[in-house]
Amino acid sequence: MKRSMGVAAWMALVAVIGAVPLLTDDRYLLKVLVFVGINVIIVSGLALLFGYAGQISLGHAAFVGIGAYASAYVTSGLGLPWLVGVLAGTTLAAIGGLLLAMPSLRLRGHYLAMATLGFNEIMYVIFREARAVTGGNDGLSGIPFPEVLGVRMDTPASIYLLVWGTALVVVFLVANIVRGRPGRAMRGLHGSEIGALACGVDVARLKIRTFAVSAGLAGLAGTLYAHAVGFVAPSTFSLEQSVVLLAIVVVGGTGSLAGPVIASIALTLLPYADALIPGLGKDVIAFLQDWEADIYGIAMIVVVVLAPKGIGGLIRAARSRSRAEETG
Amino acid sequence: MGSAELLQYVVAGFKSGAIYALVALGFTLVYGSTGIINFAQGEFFMLGGVLSVFYYRLGLPLLLAALAGVVTTAGVGLAFERLALRPRRDAGALVLIIITIGGSMVMKSLTRHIFGPDEATLPEFTPGPSIAFGGVAIERQALWLWGLTIVAVLALTWLYRKTRFGRAMRACSLSHDAARLMGIDTARVVMVSFGLAAALGALAGLAVTPLTQTAWDVGATAGMKGFAAAILGGLGNPVASVIGGLVLGLLESLSVAFLSSTYKDAIALIVLLIVLFLRPQGLIGRARREKV
Repeated sequence: MKRSMGVAAWMALVAVIGAVPLLTDDRYLLKVLVFVGINVIIVSGLALLFGYAGQISLGHAAFVGIGAYASAYVTSGLGLPWLVGVLAGTTLAAIGGLLLAMPSLRLRGHYLAMATLGFNEIMYVIFREARAVTGGNDGLSGIPFPEVLGVRMDTPASIYLLVWGTALVVVFLVANIVRGRPGRAMRGLHGSEIGALACGVDVARLKIRTFAVSAGLAGLAGTLYAHAVGFVAPSTFSLEQSVVLLAIVVVGGTGSLAGPVIASIALTLLPYADALIPGLGKDVIAFLQDWEADIYGIAMIVVVVLAPKGIGGLIRAARSRSRAEETG
Repeated sequence: MGSAELLQYVVAGFKSGAIYALVALGFTLVYGSTGIINFAQGEFFMLGGVLSVFYYRLGLPLLLAALAGVVTTAGVGLAFERLALRPRRDAGALVLIIITIGGSMVMKSLTRHIFGPDEATLPEFTPGPSIAFGGVAIERQALWLWGLTIVAVLALTWLYRKTRFGRAMRACSLSHDAARLMGIDTARVVMVSFGLAAALGALAGLAVTPLTQTAWDVGATAGMKGFAAAILGGLGNPVASVIGGLVLGLLESLSVAFLSSTYKDAIALIVLLIVLFLRPQGLIGRARREKV
């Protein structure tokens, strides 16, 4: 019964996501939804790392940047096919995660936060200064649209479907990881590293692999971003962006995947609320965009102080309440 | 490169090094009594400069404006600890990191809303031409920076070693529970540490404003470099933090002299990562064994 409900929920999700381009051809809305989908992919990976394994990263925007620049360079610089760019971007970001995770094994908590922050800042300097590959402050433009087997995805609807199709697969895979053995090991690690070690979890290996998977997903999102927008510049991958991503996961709640996914949809849509609510005044949008950092910062503090389990905790509480009513 | 020119780079390095040292002292103070790395420390630096400019433009004399800037920033530090951190004082490191990151976002963004996005500056404390010394020109403001750093580190060392409150702080750094059992008001120690750290950060931020200007967004870099300095010397030890700051400033300045200025800002980051990965206890600090 539980299993069939899970399948039904996934089918419904696919149907809703697939129906959007049939119902609307509003270019602005589809573009905003593409950004939402990209953030869903990044946040799923970060939820795995932070929410389940308890490892903080203030460097995820840099992994997104590695994916975006690598894919942009491989396709528009070297003229290779789109899929090669996606593979290169994702792999390179995952390797970056691996290389950052290995020396970070000794670090936890505050020190890991600082190390990943330093990593993001160093990558930011590289994005800005390695002009031959990254185009410096001006960035890279003219990145080609995604193209597989001669099919060019150059309409907003096709890019929307590509991004959200990828996002669905990613969320499905991450959901399976957290439900299985690695997920249990991660929760053990989050609870007590020494406890997990005592239960036979290879903590070092688990940390490195989780970091690599999480960074790889960020890189994948970066490649999608580069080809969807056609332009990349350093400011998209700054430390502030890493902090925003972490804020989304915090608001979504630790130990949950649905929570962070919902949070990433809601918080990414917030500054573009006019795409969904057409009557919304320009001044409201200007206000939301101007006060975005304040809203994120306050949301972070309020959630960890008042509702530490975030949106995911609220979902769990509602579920157990309805279950209690069922059994009466 | 002549020796006078090299010496000029050394002076420049110690000038920014003094700033890093003052910010590092703030990190060390909070870490010493709480074990928290305060990701909002750089914003205290920013607030010190921006608020002093605000008071100065209101017509206060420079000294009073600076004092008011420091006091207001200390107030912000106290309020932040009381309102945001204390409710989750017993939570793990991750939660506290998140709170200080959220706090830094809000402080930075609110400052832009209230005081505007423009850069601003203060006059030098003692205006006048640079002082020539052995073929090297030293700005008067640099003397102020060094003086303030020396006073700050002496005062902190005195506080730690000689006062009742300093003993309470050291007790807190060993064990909050044991300190509380000995009748120490640990909540007060933590709050005062935050207030003092905020004041120190503000002092650094306003003292450097005549040289570099200030704005709502200067906090992140200052915080990052101050932390690199603190960890280079050894977190939790005031003298080590100051040495870390001076060494970092010198490294940056020499990298400009011998390499290029393009990657100057990367020096602190590379130092930060190398120290974190190889010797997290710092050059001077002793390793802390983590207990189960």
